[in-house]
Amino acid sequence: MEKDRFYEDLSLILSRTHKVSIVIGLLLLFLVFFCWKVQILDHKKYWTLAEANRTRESVIIAPRGLITDRNDIILAENTASFKASIIRENCRDYDWSLAEVGRLLEIAPGDLTARINKYESLPLFRPIVVKDNLDLKDVSRIESRRLELPELIVETDPRRYYLFGNMAAHVIGYMQELSALELKNEAYPERSLGDMVGRTGVERQYESILVGTDGRRLEIVDSQGRSRGETSRSEPTPGRDIQLTLDFDLQRKATQLLEGKEGAIIVLNPRSGEVLALASFPTYDPNKFITRFSPQEWMELINREDHPLENRAIRGLYAPGSIFKMTMALGALNAGVITEQTTFFCAGAVNFYGRPFNCWQRGGHGALTLTEAIQRSCNVYFYNVGRRMGIDRIAESAELLGFGERTGIDLPGEKEGLVPTPEWSRSVRKTDWYAGETISVAIGQGPLVVTPLQVAVQVAILANRGRGVVPHLLMSSSLSQGRTSGPAPGDAAAEKVRAEFFETVIRGMWKSVNEEGTGRGAKVDSFDVCGKTGSTQLISRERAEKLGKQIKTHSWFAGFAPRDNPQVVVTVLVEYGGMGGATAAPLAKELFSLFREKHD
Amino acid sequence: MIDRRLIENIDWFLIGLLVLNSLLGVVVIYSASHYVPGNYHWRQLFFIGASLLALFVLLLVDYQVLMTFSLYFYGAVVFVLLMMLVFSRFISKGSWIKLRYFQIQPSELAKIAIILVLAHLFAEYKRNHVSATAVLISSGLVALPFLLVAVQPDLGTAVSFLPLLIGSLILAGLRRNAIIWILLLAFLAGIAGWNFYLKDYQKKRLATVVFPSRDPQGAGYHILQSKIAIGSGGFLGKGFARGSQSQLKFLPARHTDFVFSVIGEEFGFIGVVGVLLLYYLFLWRLFRSAGKSRDRAGVYITFMVSLMIAFQLLVNVAMVIGIFPIVGIPLPLLSYGGSSLLANYLGVGLVLNVKMRRFVNI
Repeated sequence: MEKDRFYEDLSLILSRTHKVSIVIGLLLLFLVFFCWKVQILDHKKYWTLAEANRTRESVIIAPRGLITDRNDIILAENTASFKASIIRENCRDYDWSLAEVGRLLEIAPGDLTARINKYESLPLFRPIVVKDNLDLKDVSRIESRRLELPELIVETDPRRYYLFGNMAAHVIGYMQELSALELKNEAYPERSLGDMVGRTGVERQYESILVGTDGRRLEIVDSQGRSRGETSRSEPTPGRDIQLTLDFDLQRKATQLLEGKEGAIIVLNPRSGEVLALASFPTYDPNKFITRFSPQEWMELINREDHPLENRAIRGLYAPGSIFKMTMALGALNAGVITEQTTFFCAGAVNFYGRPFNCWQRGGHGALTLTEAIQRSCNVYFYNVGRRMGIDRIAESAELLGFGERTGIDLPGEKEGLVPTPEWSRSVRKTDWYAGETISVAIGQGPLVVTPLQVAVQVAILANRGRGVVPHLLMSSSLSQGRTSGPAPGDAAAEKVRAEFFETVIRGMWKSVNEEGTGRGAKVDSFDVCGKTGSTQLISRERAEKLGKQIKTHSWFAGFAPRDNPQVVVTVLVEYGGMGGATAAPLAKELFSLFREKHD
Repeated sequence: MIDRRLIENIDWFLIGLLVLNSLLGVVVIYSASHYVPGNYHWRQLFFIGASLLALFVLLLVDYQVLMTFSLYFYGAVVFVLLMMLVFSRFISKGSWIKLRYFQIQPSELAKIAIILVLAHLFAEYKRNHVSATAVLISSGLVALPFLLVAVQPDLGTAVSFLPLLIGSLILAGLRRNAIIWILLLAFLAGIAGWNFYLKDYQKKRLATVVFPSRDPQGAGYHILQSKIAIGSGGFLGKGFARGSQSQLKFLPARHTDFVFSVIGEEFGFIGVVGVLLLYYLFLWRLFRSAGKSRDRAGVYITFMVSLMIAFQLLVNVAMVIGIFPIVGIPLPLLSYGGSSLLANYLGVGLVLNVKMRRFVNI
């Protein structure tokens, strides 16, 4: 039987099926090649993407080291705080989420978007903090809407807490979030966006000691962002504690004394340089910085006319006024232009270079020796001394006692003040020095400016009979490497100045306090306080009288005690406080008394 | 009525490949869904059993007989599709009819009806080239269910009707010029429509109509997740049930349309090549079966069934590796789903039916 009889000729359509099947085979081959590309050639790329999908790294913030006073009273510690964060990755509808979160947490929509935009560069799964210091009401509100808003989470963090608020704020400093700019500058290589860093004070100075190493947690997450357990975890290393030289009682007293005034108080151990108290007023509450200011609060704070953020003790520049007379006396004795017995007559004013220079005592002091001139703070006496010394020797003496350079205290931002010289005048001021200025500088006026801390150091050097000292805040027992790279305490003054000259100046200071001198307001029974007042004119008295106003002067007192075995230096500055003897000296007395009470 | 000789001529090798592929699917479905409720692997096993049974039942009836009833099948399917559209609120959800214990997808079974009706139409078509009338009739026959399914909306299934039409026209002898013209017109219409007619928001809207709930997280998310899954599998894969992309649910539709991505992730390039090789054997056997048919209708049936499965395979794989837009076309035999499985088994059943009756006298 022939096949064709029973079967049709299908060869044509069969050849067509054959062609199509070949095309399909080729397409299949192409798919294999494409899989080769995706799975073999691009494997690394997709592997990385898959890992990024399934893991979420989060930071466990290390608690910061504590800051205590010299007697282990805690000044700065850490407490737990709740913060709300948004994980953008989990937003189903971004705009809706933001509106909801804003309403839930009562954040202005503008603030919220601004905040999130600031962290745009972070990966989507990274939580962005939108509000900290949640109260329990906020926390429960967030938890109750957990399912609706999976993008909003509550985290707990150790948060810096300053137990005594504004007390010692300028010493301890405050903390703020790192800005994107600072991160770019690589000043903080180990830190990331949103971290808090010490901005000023000890918090900044000892940042590297206080800061711990943050821990990291790697979690497996599913496509909904839910955790499926940790894969690895490195525990945070807490920062190390530091002990300050501050004495809580003295610091509190200093703060109380300045309350309502503008000024600075420094209490110092002249031997060791340990700062027992350092207060600047007006002050601020450093806790406010942790809780993230609203933009208005911040602007208000930095624009306030009395500059509460400024640490006046190390950054305020003031004419030293009569406080400078000790430097003058010591320099003049050492230069040999006067002796202790040298007498000048004060008639209330004196003429030099064709113009009158007044004494604060209009009626004049009469004839005075050096110690009497210090005791009664006679200007005319020191005008004469200044004229005999000349500006160069004045400057030399000022530098010997620490003026014109940083004291080297372990706080950031200290200013160095200015000890004027004719060279300075020519190179900086572009005018010639004129002789009358020397007379002004002789009583601590003119272009001469100093910080309150420099005044304290001047007194400490005098009290130490010439031995230099570097004021510092970190207890030397606290950390061996803690010492800052300030100038080593030089003994230049002791080497260059004969010991008896110190005794002469100190005798004048003792008289000022104990023998009805200008500093009598600081007298403490049986504590042998030696000190000197200062009242610095902001404008000349003649001008003030012409204006018909009573312009108050800055009020200074600087002294130490006891006379023969100095244990404490107290420096007080009250801006616009009036006469030093009337305002600053009584404040110093309180601190001397307290110190004496504590050390009996 | 079933002759011993017919049983002897059953292509057991093809059935073996069919079942092997399906069982492989069960393994992957287990890996992709064991951590969610639903017991999809057990259900798929049940579907395989049921489909195999249906396949054997189908063998009992001569395909010639089936073809004579093909218009009734076709009419019934079109009627059901029409009813689904009209009473969509009561009986159906998209392309599904919800029954008490399971749901069925009539559009999948429509493929079998279309294959039979087209085979019936071209059975006596002996010219070397197809006539315009035949093109119009066959196009109309496919266009009707195509539109009904496309508006369900289930573009994926609707599109998988097209290779049946084009395949049968190619067999019937589409002139080369006609092919070129058709392709050119379709291409130009697509480009013109996309660029000039549709506005951006309309494109977006169209996309969400065509691919409902497929793109909630921004364009390309699913494609990307699928590529990440396949690419991260590398050469050897991450191991059974150990792919992070599927186990942690980054991959969409893991046990259905994206089952191939799970293979790529967990069994690597080796697994992908293995599965595609198995498919190649299977398709090769199917296409070669065309030569074992006794008449023209048999060739058409075999060819269209082969093309139906090949098309779904190619489009699904191209889709999950990101070189083809996402349309809801499952991986034949491997993806979870009873209706699709049943349609493919019935298709293979038709091929076996043709093949085992090749020596029967007219």
